[in-house]
Amino acid sequence: MSKPSPYEVYERISNNVQTVVRGKPQVVRLAVAALLAEGHVLVEDVPGLGKTTLARCLARSIGGTWSRIQFTPDLLPGDITGVQVYHQKVERFEFHSGGVFANVVLADEINRGTPKTQSALLEVMSERTVTVDSVRHEVPRPFLVIATQNPIEMEGTYRLPEAQLDRFLMRLQVGYPDLDAEIMIIMSDCAGVSPDELNPVVSLADLQQAVAQVRAAHVDRVICQYAARLADATRNHVDLRYGASPRGSIALVRAAQAIAATHNRGFVTPDDIKEVALPVLGHRLILTSDAELNQRSATSIVEEVLAATPAPTMSATGG
Amino acid sequence: MERGDGAVKERLSALFVLLAAAVPGLLFAPVFGLWPLVLPIGAVLVGVYVAVELGLRVPALVSWRPLVGLVLGLLAVTWTELGATTAAGIPTGSTFRALADGVTRSWQLTLQSTWPARPDAQLILFIPLAVLVAAVLGVELRRWALAALAPSVVLLGLSQAYLAMSGRDAVLAALGFALVAGGLLAVSREAREHQATRRVGALTLIAPTVVLAVAGALVVTWADPVTPAISLRQNQSVPLPQARYTNPLDEIAERKLKPAAPVFTYRSDAPVELWRITVLDRFDGATWLPSQNYRWMGATIAPTGAVTVPVKEFSATVQYPHPDGPWLPSQLLPYAVSGVAPLIDEETGVLQLNGKPAGPVDYKLSWREPVISGPELNKRGIDAHAESGLGGVGAIPPTLSDIAEKAVGNRRASFQTASELSRFLSKNYRLATGKNLPTGAGLPQLQAFLEQSHIGTSQQFAAAYVVLARSLGIPARIAVGYHGVPPGPDGISVVHNDDVFAWPEVAVEGVGWVPLDPTESAKGATSKSSGGLAAAAAAARDSLPPPDQLEDPELPPTPQASAAQGGRRSIEVPWVVVAVVLVALILLVLFSVPLLKVVRGRRRRRLTGARGVVAAWTEARDLLRAHGVPVTSGMTVRELAEAARPFGDSLHAALLRLAELVDAVLWSGGAAPPEAVPAAWASVKQVRKGLAGRGARHRVRAALHLDSLRPLGLPTIVGSRASAGRLPA
Repeated sequence: MSKPSPYEVYERISNNVQTVVRGKPQVVRLAVAALLAEGHVLVEDVPGLGKTTLARCLARSIGGTWSRIQFTPDLLPGDITGVQVYHQKVERFEFHSGGVFANVVLADEINRGTPKTQSALLEVMSERTVTVDSVRHEVPRPFLVIATQNPIEMEGTYRLPEAQLDRFLMRLQVGYPDLDAEIMIIMSDCAGVSPDELNPVVSLADLQQAVAQVRAAHVDRVICQYAARLADATRNHVDLRYGASPRGSIALVRAAQAIAATHNRGFVTPDDIKEVALPVLGHRLILTSDAELNQRSATSIVEEVLAATPAPTMSATGG
Repeated sequence: MERGDGAVKERLSALFVLLAAAVPGLLFAPVFGLWPLVLPIGAVLVGVYVAVELGLRVPALVSWRPLVGLVLGLLAVTWTELGATTAAGIPTGSTFRALADGVTRSWQLTLQSTWPARPDAQLILFIPLAVLVAAVLGVELRRWALAALAPSVVLLGLSQAYLAMSGRDAVLAALGFALVAGGLLAVSREAREHQATRRVGALTLIAPTVVLAVAGALVVTWADPVTPAISLRQNQSVPLPQARYTNPLDEIAERKLKPAAPVFTYRSDAPVELWRITVLDRFDGATWLPSQNYRWMGATIAPTGAVTVPVKEFSATVQYPHPDGPWLPSQLLPYAVSGVAPLIDEETGVLQLNGKPAGPVDYKLSWREPVISGPELNKRGIDAHAESGLGGVGAIPPTLSDIAEKAVGNRRASFQTASELSRFLSKNYRLATGKNLPTGAGLPQLQAFLEQSHIGTSQQFAAAYVVLARSLGIPARIAVGYHGVPPGPDGISVVHNDDVFAWPEVAVEGVGWVPLDPTESAKGATSKSSGGLAAAAAAARDSLPPPDQLEDPELPPTPQASAAQGGRRSIEVPWVVVAVVLVALILLVLFSVPLLKVVRGRRRRRLTGARGVVAAWTEARDLLRAHGVPVTSGMTVRELAEAARPFGDSLHAALLRLAELVDAVLWSGGAAPPEAVPAAWASVKQVRKGLAGRGARHRVRAALHLDSLRPLGLPTIVGSRASAGRLPA
């Protein structure tokens, strides 16, 4: 039996997730795209919009292991990464792995963890390894962190450090469902449909194969230039204290590769870049105080940059 | 076969280049006439063509072709124009000197001549030489058709700078040159090498230019047939030698003392009233000076628009055995001189040689003279635009102003007033005779003449008249010369010193300068029977009623020019020209915008591969832009499709199909399939169909939408630091 293409993987996961997460096809598309790009996702919105549900559905849809870490103020870094425990019988320290040792890690309410605890995710999110007492431990691949946070609640929360934000491929905002979708959600709940009911639809091997294929999607040099120009435009924007980093440009192209796969394409177009620009760049921009006072938002700035940066009309090869 | 085709095209392109050089050369026709130009230009072109033919037949000569062409062309110029300087057709030192003069001086001499100029070698030579250079350069630059045309275009500009053509001639010339240029472009190598885009681009530029030039020439000529074209010649005059001669006005008394001495003889076909030697129109209070605006006398001088009454033509042969100055006896409106090559002041009719002649001078003079009756003259107004007749009096003594007012009262400036002033002088002053003749025409002498002595020669009469007339606002000047004399039995008239005479002339509207004789009562009418302009002026004076019964004639209102005010002219706004320019601009937009869009679309359609697909996309984008869809350079095809959704689903679907094609062709990394371009243009066709359903008003507005012709500029990010400095604080 042949391996499913990235598009088929996307279709299966997307359809599976949407049996629970109703009325948010674009959010699901982006979330699955992040999965195909092997990038971490930060789902941010007010309580009750299905952030955790979306994360759980994604985790349940693939055949690998998944773990959930509920971030609380008393959570310690060791709870996340794991600790060395002295084994009296064998008279030596043994490593007890933490919650990050899974294919999909659901970091729920991540901003309730202390910065010290949040920082425990830095290494594993970027390098896919955990170092405890000078010993490196690799987490299973594919490795995906899906974090949720509530942006409006300030009491008992800790703002995510910029370094951590930069490690998320995308920040998704679920948003309120429309009326029909909300009715469907209610009816599904009444019928007892929950993420726990979902079965894996893609094996770990198929997902890894799809991830590899997505990484191999053709990206013209001009597309890379376009991505770089967008990032550069954010760096020169007067309303921004800091624009997107080169990691942001890379993330833009990788996310575009994945979104191209969701459109059943093996190459990236300027439309793909535009489609992922907001979720990829939005959380990497740090506004100036004046801009914040003037009610500017990262979203409006990214939209402005997109409208003002000419989309390429000819590839590097002229063809 | 291919080689034969190549040779034919080489010959054809060479012929077109030569024709392109010939056309501007022949456009010097208004300067020399057409026929004097045909032979030297034709000979030069034959010489250059022989060089081309030699290059085709003897390939070793190709690298020497420019030199061979130049030598053959110079020989052709020598044989056609400088035959007299050769020895049996072989150029001599004189030939080379003449050729050098042709390069350095002939163009300037031509500018300093009246036109049509004499087709002498020393004037005309620069034209065949310029044609030769344009032809040789054009032949060598044939590989690039537009560059090959450049020397001819420069020559074209030169010919138009000499005298810009207008009206039908300009249209014919423009069409002729465009035809030749089009022929050259058609057979150029660019066409052979399938660089169709550039060729069409060039034609796109040339065709509307020619059409607009032709239309503009027609419209401007129709709107304003009078205003002369701008010419390099306008401020050119011959610098006169520094030698000083006795002012003929100051010689009058001296000549009167030797009355029997002959001066010159003439034989004319009609009685001659006056022979002018010089005209003095500048006065500094002490000295009367002639103008210095001389040109070389050309072949003929065309009638000017200043004289609207009928004219008669006369001629006379003049023998001037001992010229005592550079001046030659002349008439008011000479139009041809043969036998000498004089300078002429077209304003005054004065002829003079460039330096005092060493020996006798014989020449034939032809001139025109206005025909008008005395009573008719009295109904005429003065020509207020003859400003040279009003300047230079300055502040005249009040006593002279009083005399002028006493003479004519408060009458407005008209010929009748001028005539009345002449009658006043002739009645109240006497012509001096005898040995002690008064001299001088400065203000002190004139005051003595007018207020005390009341006796003077024609010098004082004329000068006094001019000062008084100018103080009344009548343009006047002094002419010095001789009375015409009746012919002897042999038909020859001999002019003596006793015939020397100075007379005033006044500028009359539609007639030009009219001579008056304020000394008439003293000397007696000698020329009343001649029927000329002086006789008409005398008749006009005789027909005047007594001074107390004089009434101003009914004249159209004319600006009252006064000597004190300097005769200021009102500024006329050329409303017709402004209107024509506006209409031309509107027509330009109306026709050229849709035309340019069609041309741009056709050029885009010729592109192949990925560029062809992109061209289809930009065409669709510009179509929608013209229909008001807000398009930015940051837009992709899909975004455009979304923006154009209000125009209908079929248009939206066509754009989505185009988007898929653009994506596949540009970003997939593979080569564009051949069917992609037709498919892309099929989508554009669908877009056009979708837009065709809009109302006529929208479609017309879109067709004329000028902005959609511009390439999409890069929008500025509002908050970009690069533009932050330009934002208001």
